[in-house]
Amino acid sequence: MSHTFIEIIIFPGFLHLTLVTAFLTWYERKLLARIQLRIGPLYAGGPGGILQPMADGVKLIFKEVILPYRADSILFLTVPLVLVFLAALPFAVIPFGQNWVIANLDVGIVFVFANTAMFPLMIILFAWASNSKFPFLGGLRSLFQQVVYEIPMWISALSVVMLAGSMSLVDIVNAQEKMWFIVPAFFAFIVFFISIMAELERLPFDLPEAEPELVAGWFTESSGAIFMLQFLALYMKLYLMSALVTVLFLGGWWGPAFIPQPVWFIIKTLIVTTCIIIPRGVFARIRMDMLIKIGWTRLLVISLANVFLTVLLITSGLAAAMGI
Amino acid sequence: MMPLVIPSDLIFVLLAAITIVSAILALHAKELIYGAIALGLSFGGMAGFFVFLDAPYLAMLQIAVYGGAVVVLILFTIMLVRREETDALSNPSEDGQSAVGLWLAGLLAVAISGVAALAGPTLPSEPPPGDLPVSGLGLVITAEYPIPLVILALLISAAMIGALVLAKLEK
Repeated sequence: MSHTFIEIIIFPGFLHLTLVTAFLTWYERKLLARIQLRIGPLYAGGPGGILQPMADGVKLIFKEVILPYRADSILFLTVPLVLVFLAALPFAVIPFGQNWVIANLDVGIVFVFANTAMFPLMIILFAWASNSKFPFLGGLRSLFQQVVYEIPMWISALSVVMLAGSMSLVDIVNAQEKMWFIVPAFFAFIVFFISIMAELERLPFDLPEAEPELVAGWFTESSGAIFMLQFLALYMKLYLMSALVTVLFLGGWWGPAFIPQPVWFIIKTLIVTTCIIIPRGVFARIRMDMLIKIGWTRLLVISLANVFLTVLLITSGLAAAMGI
Repeated sequence: MMPLVIPSDLIFVLLAAITIVSAILALHAKELIYGAIALGLSFGGMAGFFVFLDAPYLAMLQIAVYGGAVVVLILFTIMLVRREETDALSNPSEDGQSAVGLWLAGLLAVAISGVAALAGPTLPSEPPPGDLPVSGLGLVITAEYPIPLVILALLISAAMIGALVLAKLEK
């Protein structure tokens, strides 16, 4: 078996993604339960009920897929598949180690963003296909939110690209051997982190699936395997965005050499994931107008200012003095 | 093991088929939503052409900007208009219009092929030297064509300010 084959099927590819995504669903429930002094999943087997995702998966596969009345069946059934595809494809360019990347594209970061940019389109299509009011409102909210927060996300990633002098994710990680980019691009990190919280529809930005108002937002009408695919896509996107933060700001696979590179990468990624999950147990949801206002008048301005700051850092030689 | 080789002509024909068929579907779909989706597919086919022409950066931007933003805006507009109005708007087809369109398309095809035939041997001077990295693209844009870049930026800013002014006027 060639190295590429192993990469696609086992390690950064299919098997690893499925297992980690399943783990994340359990991890989030358990973590939130511990934050709120509950027990969380316990009885499905394994330590702490870690086999819960398997039980959920089997249950959801065997449940009936209910088509809502007068729903658009083609879109309703295909969009969840496309969502999983879009969430899994960017992992082809995420470097888990010096030799653990499926494709080292010259335009890696744009590839990732091109895939995530298709998410709002798919979500609004699914919401429309459900032919129901709650999903449609959730889909519109999701569209607003993701389109607004995409822009600061791209611009804050631009400062990292400027520091590294390349759009290839492998080159970006290689440029961080001496100094992680979180130090010279700290504001970009803050903006990027807030933007991905909104992109992932995580609390305090989870307006698209606000439970008290919209039942479950844009996936209210989905059931059975359709729901499972959407859940899978959302958690895969969570993992993808955490991995992207690790690559862009936290030095990717770099760390003391006694632990192998992919393990460092996964440890850092899971720490970022934890930081994304914890606010769900702590904060309340913000209002729609506040959300849009923060996006356009704060994050966009900070990210643009940070681009100029990065230009200053590079031209004044400070970045070179930091070892970049 | 024999490496799998797909002839590039086949890829080209497939991409062309996807682009053209979905473009036609975009014009003829009864439901406007499907028209918008077909338009997105057509953009995707064009992105495939860019990959085919060794311009991956353009391909990615094509998907992100056209697939991710333009199609979303179109869908958004369609969904905010009431159903009956969109049905009334949906692809009004009059025989006179399609005849004019066909004539114009034929004229355009003749003109393009004429120009290509005239300029044929001189047009492709040399293939670009190897893989042009994205940084090379940036250098070309900023170092060789700075004035068109600045003019484009001004144009986009003017369009944005114009949109803002129009939105304020509505209130």
